[in-house]
Amino acid sequence: MGLFSKKKKKVVVVGIDGVPYTFIKKHIAAGDLPNFKALLEKGDFRRMNSVMPCISSVAWSSYMTGCNPAKHNIFGFIDRKPNPFDMFIPTSMNMKAPTLWQILSENKLRVVVINVPVTYPPKEVNGVLIGDFLATDLRKAVYPQSVFEKLDSIGYRIDVDAWAGRKDKDKFLEDINYTIDKRIEAAYWLFESQKWDFFQLHIMCTDRINHFLWEEYEADDPKYGPQFLAFYKKIDSFLGDMEKKVGENSEFIVLSDHGFCSVKKEVFTNYWLEKEGYLKFNKEKPSNLKDVSPETRVYSLIPGRFFVNLKGREQFGSIEPGAEYEKVRDELKEKLPTMTDPETGDKIIRKVYRREEIYSGPYFEQAADIIADPQDGYDLKANLNQEQLALKGSLEGMHTYDDASLYIRSRQIKSNSLWVADLMPTILSLFEVNVPEHVDGKVVV
Amino acid sequence: MGKGFTVWFTGLSGSGKTAISKFVEKEILKQGREVEVLDGDVVRTHISKGLGFSKEDRDAHISRLGWLASRFSHYGVPVITAAISPYKDIRNNCRQMITSAGGIMVEVYCECDLDTLVKRDVKGLYKKAIAGEIKNFTGVSDPYEAPDNPEVVCYTAKETVEESAQKVIDKLYELGCLKKKGEADEPYSEEEKKEIDKRLEALGYL
Repeated sequence: MGLFSKKKKKVVVVGIDGVPYTFIKKHIAAGDLPNFKALLEKGDFRRMNSVMPCISSVAWSSYMTGCNPAKHNIFGFIDRKPNPFDMFIPTSMNMKAPTLWQILSENKLRVVVINVPVTYPPKEVNGVLIGDFLATDLRKAVYPQSVFEKLDSIGYRIDVDAWAGRKDKDKFLEDINYTIDKRIEAAYWLFESQKWDFFQLHIMCTDRINHFLWEEYEADDPKYGPQFLAFYKKIDSFLGDMEKKVGENSEFIVLSDHGFCSVKKEVFTNYWLEKEGYLKFNKEKPSNLKDVSPETRVYSLIPGRFFVNLKGREQFGSIEPGAEYEKVRDELKEKLPTMTDPETGDKIIRKVYRREEIYSGPYFEQAADIIADPQDGYDLKANLNQEQLALKGSLEGMHTYDDASLYIRSRQIKSNSLWVADLMPTILSLFEVNVPEHVDGKVVV
Repeated sequence: MGKGFTVWFTGLSGSGKTAISKFVEKEILKQGREVEVLDGDVVRTHISKGLGFSKEDRDAHISRLGWLASRFSHYGVPVITAAISPYKDIRNNCRQMITSAGGIMVEVYCECDLDTLVKRDVKGLYKKAIAGEIKNFTGVSDPYEAPDNPEVVCYTAKETVEESAQKVIDKLYELGCLKKKGEADEPYSEEEKKEIDKRLEALGYL
């Protein structure tokens, strides 16, 4: 690709949260995504791996830092402090590795970053940053404050109302179309009005529509199936317009952070732990994991993260470090893959990892001791007070690990084992900025 | 007011507990927090007055230190304890007392080999202990049980006092015991937290 190898000055990234590689391929073939089809003719499009666990907060943290979770310290949408035991929502305040936009800012490059998960509360950048859906108040989600007024005046929304997705699909569709229209309007305004070298728009609405309308899409539902595809056609049309705006002299990247599939059942891992005798509570109806009894040997957090109740680490630890700890982990590694769907007998867990098999870094100790990767269709949850191991709830789509996607215009992707952490070093290299030594991802162009 | 925490130094006599604790105390004060320093030798002249160095007496002494620290923790006051505290079980009991009172226990093990300590012998105690003039002297004629999972290990034979103190201070920031100036305690108010919980629940993330 000698013709295109000259370094360009500007980079535009569009994140389409949770859009599977296979979905894009299928609908390009069906003629539903003509702009995406045109893009593919101008660049390289590949299937990509996410991170473990493959949820947006973890995956985008790995994207923006180029690191595995034990280096950036974001392991889920919910996490725990072991002593004294407490639950918390990891935000940008917990992010321990430098982000792509921090490094670009330090190199005097100007950035615009819109809505990328785990960017709230916004940290100072050389440019503009609008925080993600973990913000409640737009005024507090923007840096600098001067952009708030305009965003507020156009009716910018931080996120859709996910409860509508569960309860009222018509209302949800109205909301999601409004939200994406406003997101695009805000993006174009910033694109035109700001000076920038790096521009990133994150589209969360794709993940949301997949969570709540994936079954209707797959079943070709006469009412919602076409509306689902119409939404994706809107995204396709935006990508076409954006690509034209970007112009030939800038880099243009589109990526998703994980794939999607239908939820067969939600599976309650703490129910399983209780039945297997690992988890005990002080109360008959525990309100949260603070109510675990000191006899507890293991508890879990969403999705598929298992924590040994380790002495010296956990507030009321029961398991001795060393041989006893390893014995509990060995047992979990052996027993978890035997978990089956009570109705069908299908295996629920694909693979079980000890944390050292997938994580390394200074925040390793914060990681779960065992991480379970489920079979597609079994969505691992950690709700308490469940009366059965698995049930079909109102969530329709769940994430998959190996079906994320990456498109880079005018470049050849030189890797056959892509994962989201490769993007940060790759983008730094496009700017000819040195990649920090601690980064796990590789430059792939 | 910030969260209560106890920096619990443990290690042999002369291993650097008091020296490191002075730097840590300064950093805590610099952040505008108050701090109570419970030095083992000083406490022995007050609430542990009359206690000797048998295992029973040592356990009683350390237990009193732990209880005091837990009370300070309950009211959000940082505490530094600098006592040999040689027995693992009693230190773990103190951890339970402190955490049950809502505090965080940060155990700091000052690790130093006996040869170095004998050479250092700041108080001249090792010489006397080896000569048999002091009985029940930890590390010479009495056991010392090192912690299994201390939050920080200071290798005081190799590190300078400043280096060791920095490790402890870094840990206090990492655990959220101390906050950098301008750093908010929490990303959310109570109301905002409820809203975010509701949003995450709808998405199936809680």
